[in-house]
Amino acid sequence: MEDPTGAYPGRRGLISYVKLVIPFHFLPHARVDTYSKVLGYYNMDFSQIIANSLVRGAELSLLAIGLTMVFDILKFANFAHADYAVLGAFLVYSLNQVLGLSLFLAVILAAPATALIGICIDTAIFKPLRRKEAKVVTAMVCSLGIGIALRNILRLIWTSRTKTYAIPIQKPIEILGARLTFTQIGIVLTGFISMVIFHLLLHRTKFGKALRAISDNRVLASACAIDSEKVIKWMWFIACCYGVMGGTMIAMEHLLYPRLGFDILIPVFCAAILGGIGNPYGAMLGALTLALAENIVLALDFSYLISLGGLFEVGPIQISTGYKPAISFVILVAVLLFRPTGILGRK
Amino acid sequence: MLTLTIRDLQKNFGSLRALDRVSLEVQGNSIVGLIGPNGSGKTTLFNVVSGFYEKDGGEIYFKGERIDGLRPDQIVKKGLSRTFQVCKAPEKLTVLENMMLAAKSQIGEDPFSALFRRPRVSMLEKANLDRAMDLLEVLQLVDLRNEYAGDLSGGQKKLLSLGRAFMLDPDLILLDEPTAGVNLTLATQLLKVIRELQKKEGKTFFIIEHSMKVISDICDKVLVLNFGKIMAEGTPEEIRKDEQVLKAYLSGA
Amino acid sequence: MPVIYFLIYLLTMIGIYSLLAMSLNFQVGFTGLINFGQVAFFCIGAYASSLLVTKAGAPLILGFVGGMALSGLFGYIISIPTKSLKADYWAIATLAGGEVVRLLALNEGWLTEGPFGVMSIPQPLRWLFSKDSYPLFYLFLIAACVLIIYFVLSLLTNSPFGRNLKAIRDEEDLCLSLGKNTRKLKLQAMVVAGMVAGLAGALFAHYITYISPENFKPIETFLMWAMIIVGGRGNHLGAILGAVVIQLFNVSTRFIGGYVPLGSDTMAALRMVIIGLLIVLFLLYAPEGLIRERKKVYHLKRKHIE
Repeated sequence: MEDPTGAYPGRRGLISYVKLVIPFHFLPHARVDTYSKVLGYYNMDFSQIIANSLVRGAELSLLAIGLTMVFDILKFANFAHADYAVLGAFLVYSLNQVLGLSLFLAVILAAPATALIGICIDTAIFKPLRRKEAKVVTAMVCSLGIGIALRNILRLIWTSRTKTYAIPIQKPIEILGARLTFTQIGIVLTGFISMVIFHLLLHRTKFGKALRAISDNRVLASACAIDSEKVIKWMWFIACCYGVMGGTMIAMEHLLYPRLGFDILIPVFCAAILGGIGNPYGAMLGALTLALAENIVLALDFSYLISLGGLFEVGPIQISTGYKPAISFVILVAVLLFRPTGILGRK
Repeated sequence: MLTLTIRDLQKNFGSLRALDRVSLEVQGNSIVGLIGPNGSGKTTLFNVVSGFYEKDGGEIYFKGERIDGLRPDQIVKKGLSRTFQVCKAPEKLTVLENMMLAAKSQIGEDPFSALFRRPRVSMLEKANLDRAMDLLEVLQLVDLRNEYAGDLSGGQKKLLSLGRAFMLDPDLILLDEPTAGVNLTLATQLLKVIRELQKKEGKTFFIIEHSMKVISDICDKVLVLNFGKIMAEGTPEEIRKDEQVLKAYLSGA
Repeated sequence: MPVIYFLIYLLTMIGIYSLLAMSLNFQVGFTGLINFGQVAFFCIGAYASSLLVTKAGAPLILGFVGGMALSGLFGYIISIPTKSLKADYWAIATLAGGEVVRLLALNEGWLTEGPFGVMSIPQPLRWLFSKDSYPLFYLFLIAACVLIIYFVLSLLTNSPFGRNLKAIRDEEDLCLSLGKNTRKLKLQAMVVAGMVAGLAGALFAHYITYISPENFKPIETFLMWAMIIVGGRGNHLGAILGAVVIQLFNVSTRFIGGYVPLGSDTMAALRMVIIGLLIVLFLLYAPEGLIRERKKVYHLKRKHIE
């Protein structure tokens, strides 16, 4: 992370002193993309913040939906969920970079493949646990083990080196004062369409009906001749497919590496819990809220507060980017403490 | 002497009124039965009184002190204990350990004392062990003392939960279906123990029970709960003759 | 000769991880608190002790005590949410908490030297021994610590306190209905566990003399989990055995790495794949671990055993 202007605060402490808040409209266009990654967050430009949050929110909500579904139906927190997604993202990478398929086609092929792996893992590990009526905590610890194994299998196959997809460098376009690349616009649109499809799945299909029935009352559902194992398989299928889309998007926006799954795990959990476990719409809202919070907190200038409302001179004070991951942690813990049912509550 | 007084107690689950302004009194040194059709709110009442559920309105007094709003463990420390309908049995604790667990005010529960006041702790443990064994003998669980509580049958778990309640030695015990799943001879034995405890040690019992036989055998007073409301109150004989109660039971069944 | 030093190093690390595994086992195996941020205790113990000694100039013994105290304090803090959170939510929160601690160590450079880490941490009683004999002395020091902690924890888990913890693990509501203040008990358990892991951290820091945030990645927590799952929860010997097995595996694969035509990254990945699979396989097929929980049998007076 080289920063030519020297404004990047690096790791200097909880609150770092930033001399320059660079509005990056003044920078030459070609360099905007690099700068926006490093400096974009310091810019207190609301339309840009909202645009960035929409992109991140779309990515996170695709991941959070699957997590919240599994948590709701199988009652355990799946710590391997983000790793499934990154596995899919790596499959997309291979199809895209090695076989030369387009990204769109690669995702269409990689998503069901990952889902198949997800279902196999469920059959091999979680189903026996369900049959033994093991405690949910056991399944949770198991998923942690699966996550560790999966993450390192990725490392074995694709090595630890970071990867990128074959996306041409794009000139960002300006929409309502915010600069977005076509990729980013695509991410937001795909996210939106996926959510609509999810809504239809949940409310217009037999699967959705069965899923909601199981979520309400598993015993009653099985009494009504709902084959819960079959529904659970479909649930994994959808959770994994959505996860792969989300994982691929995050990899497109940033970089792809085996540990990515662990790095996005907490934000995804945060989004799911923020929205209320078991509530897919909550997951979307939670993802957006979290994304907005991340962007705003990093852009906030605390000097006014620190100087006690302008009593004495202080330079602009912002939170160091080193703490970006900590923002979702802190929000997560705060939500868990004060409103464990999430902002929307349970359904 | 009043032990437990409940005034206008309310508890809602969403739009369902589980307890609808319940008021009742339990006299000290007596055995009071609580009956009612399934889903009438009996267990909910116990859960609210013992502090496991938060109430939505009303007041609960125990020995003149207000106890609503306290945590379950604080309520127990005041002398009010309860058992559960679906028996809770710690999987990996033996029967004897379960009994020892229930003994109240043990100084060894504090990690510091457990390390540095060992002689005193072990002395208390020995005393508790004696009492636990005596109680187990009454409950006919002596031979099972080294079995894991999780491996017991349903009836045995019931017995164990009674044993724990006796070990804890509270003034008022709420028993949630104490004889369900226990064989008849043992159940009769149990009722005798309960009766004895009430007479000799002045304990008070508040019992949820389905069997009318049990109720008329030991209860001094019976309360009937239906749709979250107390619908009748009286001696077992009076209740048995009450037509309203019969109707409620018939329609419920 | 180098083989002997390697062996001493291996045993020392086993000792340190035994302490960490016993601490985690105390939380998971006895109290039923699923802590995915165990490494935070380790990190706090190591940093607190080494910073107290190197920056504040405190004597070594004060460093150790400070490390344990601060780590215990952290145990106190993260146990507060257990009163309102379900086990799985709390587990997620601890994972987050562990990462926050590491990020603090990484970003608060004025205190922790950030990514560069704390260097030249003094070793206890170093002047008494020659360069060659010191590792052996340290091994004995750690062995003594493991023994003492094993003894103390056994006393605790065999006491009424330990009985209450086990009851919380199995049936929390029952515990409440018997008048146990479960909130306070969990808090005490976390403080005890925090102090033990903090001691391990301090021992670690003063052993390798250089620590950085790299030493305290989440992977360490996963290793400790593998230890208690493989060794068996609910008894201290299991935790120690788990530490032995996992550390032997961990270090020996590093050793073998020199003879196998695979890159170090590949070997490390392979190692973690196996650790992950071990966790899953043990939970599926041997959920009790290698040493199962011992049943507590009371000694009765003759009167009762007719």
